[in-house]
Amino acid sequence: MTYLSQLLGKTVYYDNIPFGKIIDMAIFTNSSHAPVSKIEIMRGKKKLTISPSALSFENNKFTLKTQHIPLLPYDHKDFYLAEDLLDKQVIDIDGKRLVRVNDIILEINGEIKVIGIDIGFHGVMRRLGLSFFNHPSKIIPWEYIEAFDYQTGDIKIKLTQHSLNTLHPSELATILEDVGTKERIGLVAALDAKKAARAIEETDNQTQISILEEIPAAGFQEVLKKMRSSELADIFNYLNPLKTQEIQKALGIEKVKRVKKLLGFSHDVAGGIMRSSFFRVDAYITVKEMVKLLSEDTNPPETIVVTNGNEKLVGTVYTKNLLGTDPLAIMKDIVKERKFVYSTVHISHIFRLFTEYNLRSIPVVDKEKKPIGIIVIDDLLKVMEEKDE
Amino acid sequence: MNSIKVFFKRMLPVFAIIGPGIIAGSADNDAGGITTYSLTGAHFGYSMLWVLFLTTFALAATQEVGARMGLVTGKGLASLIREKFGVKWTTFIMGVLLIANIGTIAAEFAGVATAFEIFHISKFISVPLIAIGLYFILLKGNFRRLEHIFLAFSAFYLVYIISAIYAKPDWGYALQSLVIPNIHQDKNYFLTIIAVIGTTITPWGQFFIQDYVVDKKLTKEDLHVERGDVFFGAFITNFISFFIIIACAATIFVNHQHINDAKDAALALQPLVGNFASILFGFGLLNASLFGAAIVPMSTSYVITEAFGFESGLDFSFKEAKEFYILLALLLGIGVVLTLNPFIPLLSILFLTQAVNAVLLLPILVFLYVLSNDKNLLGEYANNKGINFLLMIIFGLISISSLVYFISLFFQ
Repeated sequence: MTYLSQLLGKTVYYDNIPFGKIIDMAIFTNSSHAPVSKIEIMRGKKKLTISPSALSFENNKFTLKTQHIPLLPYDHKDFYLAEDLLDKQVIDIDGKRLVRVNDIILEINGEIKVIGIDIGFHGVMRRLGLSFFNHPSKIIPWEYIEAFDYQTGDIKIKLTQHSLNTLHPSELATILEDVGTKERIGLVAALDAKKAARAIEETDNQTQISILEEIPAAGFQEVLKKMRSSELADIFNYLNPLKTQEIQKALGIEKVKRVKKLLGFSHDVAGGIMRSSFFRVDAYITVKEMVKLLSEDTNPPETIVVTNGNEKLVGTVYTKNLLGTDPLAIMKDIVKERKFVYSTVHISHIFRLFTEYNLRSIPVVDKEKKPIGIIVIDDLLKVMEEKDE
Repeated sequence: MNSIKVFFKRMLPVFAIIGPGIIAGSADNDAGGITTYSLTGAHFGYSMLWVLFLTTFALAATQEVGARMGLVTGKGLASLIREKFGVKWTTFIMGVLLIANIGTIAAEFAGVATAFEIFHISKFISVPLIAIGLYFILLKGNFRRLEHIFLAFSAFYLVYIISAIYAKPDWGYALQSLVIPNIHQDKNYFLTIIAVIGTTITPWGQFFIQDYVVDKKLTKEDLHVERGDVFFGAFITNFISFFIIIACAATIFVNHQHINDAKDAALALQPLVGNFASILFGFGLLNASLFGAAIVPMSTSYVITEAFGFESGLDFSFKEAKEFYILLALLLGIGVVLTLNPFIPLLSILFLTQAVNAVLLLPILVFLYVLSNDKNLLGEYANNKGINFLLMIIFGLISISSLVYFISLFFQ
């Protein structure tokens, strides 16, 4: 086991005469075991980029095999260990948090490759020359980190990118809240659109605003479209009009219409916390048809809102209650829950309804009793959480 | 009705942005600040107001740089130093910050001690009890609620304004002294210049403003409002300082009285409130000291643990962020020990630490200058020439005053 800090500044010899000093190393980011692809050497005042195969490493000494080394181009898009990784913050996938890289652990065995990072106190002491043991402290294996490009903030390790998507939106949200501005955008860009949307929704209000202010709306159309209308409406209240326009353009007319409907509501009424997308069916379809509809849906809802011919609310049916129901019955007849709230009802009243009647969700209707949204118990939990802060 | 609601919703962001500059500014008028300004007025009358005038712009400039870097990068100053300059320079700067802040913390506790002595309570009782109390308040994460109370109480300094008016100072001369330097050939004059700068532009304040902006997730869009906040904060801080100096100049200096300990500084309040002065002064000093004694150790632990990659902040529990809470306890402990030691009088702790802070600010200013001119980092938000000029002036003023003071030590 070797540490990057021990290699940086190390002299490279040719024919036992000092040739230059190692100042950085680039790695292949599209490979799972991260072998070093380029080594940067400072010779006098000149930076040379060479291939690691031009060096041999014996008895703790780097020797250049031939003086006629093929020079490689310096490409700022490469991922450099000292420039992009050392001293920077990376995502610890396993620990689901941001950590700072105090040192980088390498293995030299024919080829040089990165096997992990040291985030512990000993890493710092070693860098300061105050550690006399090769004492590893807190190590995270290479497979479990995601790193950012220092210049652009983009997520850099392509091969393992799917691992970010294994994190829960709320874990991603915590990371989004803590990371720098450029890195925040880079992280959003690296996620699947849906995961990104959920993660942004889970962040605190200030982070949401800062993300929507910073991202180029056109490039993040998919993410924006996947965000809930109620969340967007909430954020729009804080954005400047130009930025709002830009985002609305990316969202498309249909979505904007839905968001705008919610804009007028204040935070503490039903309209302000409801979700505007919900599953609505006609009262006269059969349970069998209903089950078929649900099985075609990739993300079947917990609650079905049943409306009559005039689009007015009949009531709601929980999906789980369809089990064991006569397949030929029509939806209208199996509706048991007929409670609803108008969009202007205060949340304290909604809290009471939920606890008194053990509700999981409640539809929100306009003056004509047409459903315009739904409040599920998660939304209320979120209100409580925000109030608590 | 609805339109009023919408209006307030639209105004909300403005209220959310305003704050960092004003809080950082108010916390500047801490125990060390009040003592330094009182001594300045008492010993040198109006003659040092020009330094105050200059430092107002310098404070606005340094705070603006910090806020701007925070807005654009979303990272604290310690993070930026670590990422650009590596572990060694970071350790150096953290060492500098640690020394400066230990001095500041000691000054805050000296303020606590002085305030309680006015009420005839021994510092050996008050200081340890306050330190332990603060630690538990911070540990329980209740500080954020208290913050507003401290801020509200800092309105107390308005009495200095009224007191200054009661004392009938020479307004024309005071205003003239703001812009015309009147330099005394006295080594203490230069020491006081350094202390005035050091108590206004502080190492911890520089880290604090940037972390605060980052914590609030402000973005480039907020730059205009945030600038206003920072400038207003700098102005209001030194506006109050101006009246503290004037109040002391028009009473203590004019009557040729001498301040021997911080309690004597209460004399400035006598024309307004008479014998009640020392109680009022004690109360204000206690509030300022408590605010500082909570906020400085907290921000120091935060910055240092963050720079070295430990979990940091009051949002974590003791178990999650051991290093943070242990460092916090250590800082409070060292502050207490320094204050209670019998060798250094409280007044020296309160005053000299401010001068030391100014000197320790120099290396931090260098890093601030380099980072805020980094186009890779800030792009179009890098410094313009005006800001760079102001940063250099403040650097020059501290360096020259320190040099003159240092040389004068040998020639007297």
